[in-house]
Amino acid sequence: MSDTHYPALSDIDAIQQAFESAGYICTTRIATVVRLAAALEKPVLIEGPPGVGKTELAKTCAMVVDRPLVRLQCYEGLDESKALYEWKYGKQLLYTQLLKEQLGDIMDGAKGLTESMNRLHQFGDVFYSEAFLESRPLLKAMEEDNGGVLLIDEIDKADFEFESLLLEVLSDFQVSIPELGTIQAHSKPLVFLTSNDTRDLSDALKRRCLHLHIPFPSVELEARIVASRVPDLAQSMTDQLVRFVHAIRSLDLKKAPAISETVDWAKSLVLLHARDLDGSLVQDTLNVLLKYEEDIQIAEGQLPKLMAAAAG
Amino acid sequence: MAVDSPNTARAATSSDQLLAFVQYLRGKKIPVSPADTLDAIEVAELVGYRDRSLLKNGLAAALAKSRHELTVFEAAFDDYFQPAPERPPAGGQTDGQPDGSSTDAPDQATQTDPATQNEDLLEGLRGNALFDALDSQDESALSVAIETAAAEAKVEEISLFTQRGQYVRKILDALGDEALREAAIEFEQSEPAAFEAVQALREQLRERVRDRVERAYLIHASAATEDLLDESLSKLKLGNVDHSQMARLKRLMDRMARKLAARHGRRRRRYRRGKLHVGETVRRAIPTDGIPFHPRWRKIERKRPQIMAICDVSGSVAAYAKFLLMFLYALQDVLPRTRSFAFSAALGEVSDLFAKLPVEEAIERVNLKYGGATDYGRALQDFSELALAEVNSATTVIVLGDARNNQADPRLDLLAEIKARARQLIWLNPESTRLWGTGDSEMLLVKRHCHLAKECNNLNQLERIIDKLLSDKR
Repeated sequence: MSDTHYPALSDIDAIQQAFESAGYICTTRIATVVRLAAALEKPVLIEGPPGVGKTELAKTCAMVVDRPLVRLQCYEGLDESKALYEWKYGKQLLYTQLLKEQLGDIMDGAKGLTESMNRLHQFGDVFYSEAFLESRPLLKAMEEDNGGVLLIDEIDKADFEFESLLLEVLSDFQVSIPELGTIQAHSKPLVFLTSNDTRDLSDALKRRCLHLHIPFPSVELEARIVASRVPDLAQSMTDQLVRFVHAIRSLDLKKAPAISETVDWAKSLVLLHARDLDGSLVQDTLNVLLKYEEDIQIAEGQLPKLMAAAAG
Repeated sequence: MAVDSPNTARAATSSDQLLAFVQYLRGKKIPVSPADTLDAIEVAELVGYRDRSLLKNGLAAALAKSRHELTVFEAAFDDYFQPAPERPPAGGQTDGQPDGSSTDAPDQATQTDPATQNEDLLEGLRGNALFDALDSQDESALSVAIETAAAEAKVEEISLFTQRGQYVRKILDALGDEALREAAIEFEQSEPAAFEAVQALREQLRERVRDRVERAYLIHASAATEDLLDESLSKLKLGNVDHSQMARLKRLMDRMARKLAARHGRRRRRYRRGKLHVGETVRRAIPTDGIPFHPRWRKIERKRPQIMAICDVSGSVAAYAKFLLMFLYALQDVLPRTRSFAFSAALGEVSDLFAKLPVEEAIERVNLKYGGATDYGRALQDFSELALAEVNSATTVIVLGDARNNQADPRLDLLAEIKARARQLIWLNPESTRLWGTGDSEMLLVKRHCHLAKECNNLNQLERIIDKLLSDKR
């Protein structure tokens, strides 16, 4: 068990506290999964609507265990040369040019093709050694000496083929490079994958991960999150604001506001020195919370109801 | 037996119980692989069985792999690991003496006979492992004995509700209940107190065994029974599905839709040989000093079909239209641009209705609005005016109807035009193929103008057709 690697993650209550002091308020479920991930050395696949703190969880985790965070942002067309490793072609070419004369010396006096070949073979694959290897995020995470936190963000955006590429990394924590052999992780990193659920991931990938679904938080939890992120906002105001956001989420919107939007809203209210959540203030700042014109219109139509909900 | 009952043979029974729970989950249609099971066991060892919510969170991480599975998992967990109601420590008796000297039915025992005499009579039974375990309330010994007997009786092969009694008998026999029964018979005439005592113990035993069989049924057979019901339902003519089966049908349909969505949901690509991807090829050629050893080809994305469903909602076919539309809308994730039209006499677009309302309600509204004597000619005419301009090579038009046109002109020319423009024109007919072309059915003529004409009147056929449609092959 790698409890020794990440001593900060060996107790669920301690995890909750440590995360909280790092500014991330998490439920017991989240803490349990982090604990299990550290103990079982399994990657965590985090799913949930955008803006509930999936990426933030990985970042906070890196902060708590005090290890570097290696982040791989996925996108369509991501392939192994950008995710795993690449040979430094330019350097290879440059070196062959520079070493041309040396080659002449080596070959000096060799008789016939066979002998020249044999002499060349003695030098092995100098050009395919680690000196010419450009590590990309996945390989980099394997190379961290004391382990680290690997965040593979928005895996659902990557191509289906890329998932298969990940399997070796996720289950064995190793990378196979044909020219060099297999590179094993020095110390197993904590791996987090996030997905916005835009498509189903393959079963093979799912099977290798622990699953964590983060839904929108409850009113209490969100109030605590806002309070910890925006401590300047008065308590009563925070409560009102969170209840308002929850009421908005129950409307039929194109994009419901996420935690990050609640926090942004709270911050802008602080900037505006708002003391009370009143109708005109809400109307003026609604665009911080809602990103589509249609949504804003729907919300404005329901404003009295929403305000009533906010008042509790 | 329950998670938080303190004195069971923890290690062994717990992991057995976890395995049974995995079985139970599989019965609920959550696919759990052996590797997942191993993970779950590891998780359970780590978090322990004491804290229910902790165990639930932990197991959820290992076993539930999507949001849908999470909801099913949570319900299943709550069902399965019910917090045990505090069992009275020894089947109703006042457990005064720890060495079990006072057996059951203490009232009668003290009334008629001194307890000691009772003891003597039962002495003959001492040494019988089963009796000892029962008599001293040795929980773990009893559990182990029942588990062994259950395995011997092959209780996991139980497949029907009605077999429960039979399995209870088998397990009791395997446990050695025979000896107790003989003793009871012996006592029946002569020693009523001893008889009562033995019978009470036997009843306790029977109760436990019944529990065990009940659990086995729940785990092994309820799934099979469900499967059986599901299977027969998916073969049933949709027109004959009655109201009580609707909930199950809906569930079944959702499951099929999920399966199809998973199979066809991901973006599919195809390499198109012939068109070189210059940029990528040059990039690939860098390590070979500019010599393109690995040419790359441009890819094309296979488009998901846009579906236009034209449904006959007149009396005889309405039920089928309902199911087709339900299925199509259950697939909205994969088929986001589905448009639906309903007709009987006149035709109108009903997409909005279906987007907004629950399917049943929408169907009723549609019936009200477009009901009347079926007229395919007019319906196709209306469709042409309404949407023909938007039918293109990515559109699949599905017509659902019996093609019985009351001898009127079916306007095959319009059908031919739709076929020419659309990627596919599919006609689904709830009537069986044998009836096509009989009476006022125009099906044989219609068939010639369609890429595909199929009989479709149960869920299985419907699933197969939609699957084919999504795989985008003609």
